[in-house]
Amino acid sequence: MNESPENERFTERAQRLFDDSVERLDAATLSSLNRGRHRALAELGTAGVARGHWMRWVPATGVAAAALATVMMMNARPPDVVQEPVSAADFEMLLDDDDELEMLEDLEFYSWLDLAGPSAGDDVG
Amino acid sequence: MSACAATFAVSLPREEPTGETALERERQLNQFLAGVERRALRIAEIGVRDRDEALDLVQEAMIKLARAYSARPAEEWAPLFYRILHNGVRDWHRRQKVRRRVMAWFGRSADGDGDYDPIEAAADPAGRTPHDELEMGEAMRRLEIAIGELPGRQREAFMLRTFEGLDVAGTAVAMGCGEGSVKTHYSRAVHTLREQLGEHWE
Repeated sequence: MNESPENERFTERAQRLFDDSVERLDAATLSSLNRGRHRALAELGTAGVARGHWMRWVPATGVAAAALATVMMMNARPPDVVQEPVSAADFEMLLDDDDELEMLEDLEFYSWLDLAGPSAGDDVG
Repeated sequence: MSACAATFAVSLPREEPTGETALERERQLNQFLAGVERRALRIAEIGVRDRDEALDLVQEAMIKLARAYSARPAEEWAPLFYRILHNGVRDWHRRQKVRRRVMAWFGRSADGDGDYDPIEAAADPAGRTPHDELEMGEAMRRLEIAIGELPGRQREAFMLRTFEGLDVAGTAVAMGCGEGSVKTHYSRAVHTLREQLGEHWE
């Protein structure tokens, strides 16, 4: 790709700054990367096993998405602002993530919090 | 058909390595991952503006590469790895968007404090000390913000070409589009960044 000298200078400077930021990564981050790499190497040749593990969640996430949709329909109220509709596919996307599964487990709490308003929980702890 | 039609096929028959071959493959993969992980982390971090999320995405990409593509020729690993990583970054953004919509139904913000502020978010994703921040310079911070504001495909093309040093063909594989599209996205990205950052940055 033929670049103008100005563009080349620009990208060279960007490259140098980026390289510098890579060199400055802290020890804790490098350690996390190292652990992640070894975890990945431990997965070598486990594609079939991994697929089996994932497949176990398919029925669970489907049911969970339906449950979430039902609760939201029951708790539905006119929103303060115009929003895009939330579809079942949206929920399934959220449920791909372990953190979101945790959110789903706490759904009753969120519903209560929503109904109780901003002062909810002030008397706890 | 769009220029981003798939130009990349990965489904060759795979032979399961055994014994020494498997050990050699593991050694090669370890070497490859050790060589790309730091740059991949920074690239993902610029994409999602969060160090921990970026670490998760890089680990996920490493695991997927090891599981699904370790038997592929080693020279194909870099574009495959970055393709997985960029798909991960794209999915992360989609999930964030959906999450905000779902949380809005419950009348609260997904991130708890209103609108996203790219300048505030990019201020110090690595938790560096003021001294480090000073040394690294304002320039990189401004570059990260400007890259973060590029359209997704331009951002990918710029980072893969400039930061990872992939050639046009490798970038095309990583982005899942044609070489012509890579050149267009990259050229537009450089033009926009130069315009945004101004001459004094250079």
